[in-house]
Amino acid sequence: MEIVIEVKNLTKIYKSLDFWKKDTYTGIKDVNLSIYKGEIFGLLGLNGAGKTTLMKTLLGLLQPTTGSIKILGSSINNTEIRKYIGYMPELPYFPKYLKAYEILEYFADIFNIHNKRQKILQTLELVGLKGNEYKKIKGFSKGMQSRLGMAQALINDPEILFLDEPMSGLDPLGYKEMRDVLVDLNKNGKTIFFNSHILSEVEKICDRVAIMHRGHLIEPVKVSWIIKKFKSVESYFIHHVKE
Amino acid sequence: MKSVLAVIEYIVKQNIRNKMLNVLTIFSIFIIGFSLAISELAQESEIRMLKDFGLFSISLLSFITLLLSVTIQMFEETELKTMHIIMVKPIKRSEYLIGKYFGIITTLFINILFMFIVLMLVINIRGSDPWELKLLLSVFFIFISICIISSVAVLFSVIATSVPGCVLFLFFTYVLGHLTIHLKKLVAHSENTVIKIIVDIIYYVVPNLELFNLKNKLETTYGLIEPSFFLFIIIYAISYISIILLISIKYFDKKEFF
Ligand SMILES: Nc1ncnc2c1ncn2[C@@H]1O[C@H](COP(=O)(O)OP(=O)(O)OP(=O)(O)O)[C@@H](O)[C@H]1O
Ligand SMILES: [Mg+2]
Repeated sequence: MEIVIEVKNLTKIYKSLDFWKKDTYTGIKDVNLSIYKGEIFGLLGLNGAGKTTLMKTLLGLLQPTTGSIKILGSSINNTEIRKYIGYMPELPYFPKYLKAYEILEYFADIFNIHNKRQKILQTLELVGLKGNEYKKIKGFSKGMQSRLGMAQALINDPEILFLDEPMSGLDPLGYKEMRDVLVDLNKNGKTIFFNSHILSEVEKICDRVAIMHRGHLIEPVKVSWIIKKFKSVESYFIHHVKE
Repeated sequence: MKSVLAVIEYIVKQNIRNKMLNVLTIFSIFIIGFSLAISELAQESEIRMLKDFGLFSISLLSFITLLLSVTIQMFEETELKTMHIIMVKPIKRSEYLIGKYFGIITTLFINILFMFIVLMLVINIRGSDPWELKLLLSVFFIFISICIISSVAVLFSVIATSVPGCVLFLFFTYVLGHLTIHLKKLVAHSENTVIKIIVDIIYYVVPNLELFNLKNKLETTYGLIEPSFFLFIIIYAISYISIILLISIKYFDKKEFF
């Protein structure tokens, strides 16, 4: 199987932003991970475990302290590679006086997307924002902002999707819609790497999961294996993070 | 290149739509329009005062617009984390920063243009020539000095870790920028070498904004500004802006987004 994300001995130590303070904090320690093309991979973990830290380091938003990262065989600092990547941060925010269409237009221009109008409307429809194209973000609910966050991640038909808690802020119907979108993308061969606290959803869609605990990554396993051994992802999760 | 244009468009749109900035522009136009009410007679001295007041207002208000625009952008970038999304898109960090700089100065160009049109109207109503070369040159140089201070704004917004810090230092730079030339004259005859060195450092590091204040320089024996001086300050501006932007890019390339 083709490896699309390869992480070796990755450590990220946060330093204090005030240069006169010497204190540091280890966000993630010695992480090794391979993600295969076409899989849905779920990263689980308690609050503050290091999930977001790992994702941001993979995306080049944070510099690794030690270790190496390869995305599609190259460094994320290579702008060419970023054409094939989509990223939805946790709690995405957009300038409130702009319209949903304008925000996607900005990103479409950066990707140099042809027939962008059609692509933008199509993407907004996909995430359930049809009818809100020309509404200002100011009038968006939290869940609608999340959906727009998803839309900007999908605008370039990415090969790999990085989603940081994509379900947070969505209503129950939103869960199902998001799940359908992810499964559909996956059917078209896209790789999805996401963080989530919603174990029932993770169980429904993931091929493999791994638990991040206090900065350490526990060996990834297949969801089918978990179901056989532990009955549910929840009991597997509790088993690993309990004191 | 296309992505740089996209960033410029985005920044300008964001600024123009912002309610606070719009209120400030309306206020500026009102202030300049107000000068019409206070100067009544079409005497030469009155009109001179009117022009000086107008130019001073444009210079100050465009700086306040810059401060506000930088505050809003930096707040969104750092506190609300809008940068995270764009930094993962296929645009080089240097391209983003250049786009941001030109987005800011495009906004300020529009802002200054608006205020200047109002000033020209006021001058016209008062029966003087709004197309006077001296007036046009003065406002052009106000714009150039704003371009310089905008480059410093970009640098500070990259380095600073908090919005108030950035704004405060930008304000200091603006004030010092207008004072350095006078400071240098003050210490010219001083015996104290330490103070001289400190003033020299400030003089060469802080942008010399007073260079662009043509109020006094225009009244030379030549009648108008000397071409060599004109050329000198243009070269000064371009070099200063380039250096500051290069330093900003260097910092920005290594910046982490928490
Ligand atoms: N900028 C920072 N400086 C110092 N420590 C940080 C910084 N950002 C995060 N941390 C620490 O790193 C650890 C991991 O944080 P991270 O955001 O990766 O957690 P997470 O698994 O995403 O949690 P959550 O489920 O709450 O989103 C936390 O203990 C946090 O306190
Ligand atoms: Mg997180």
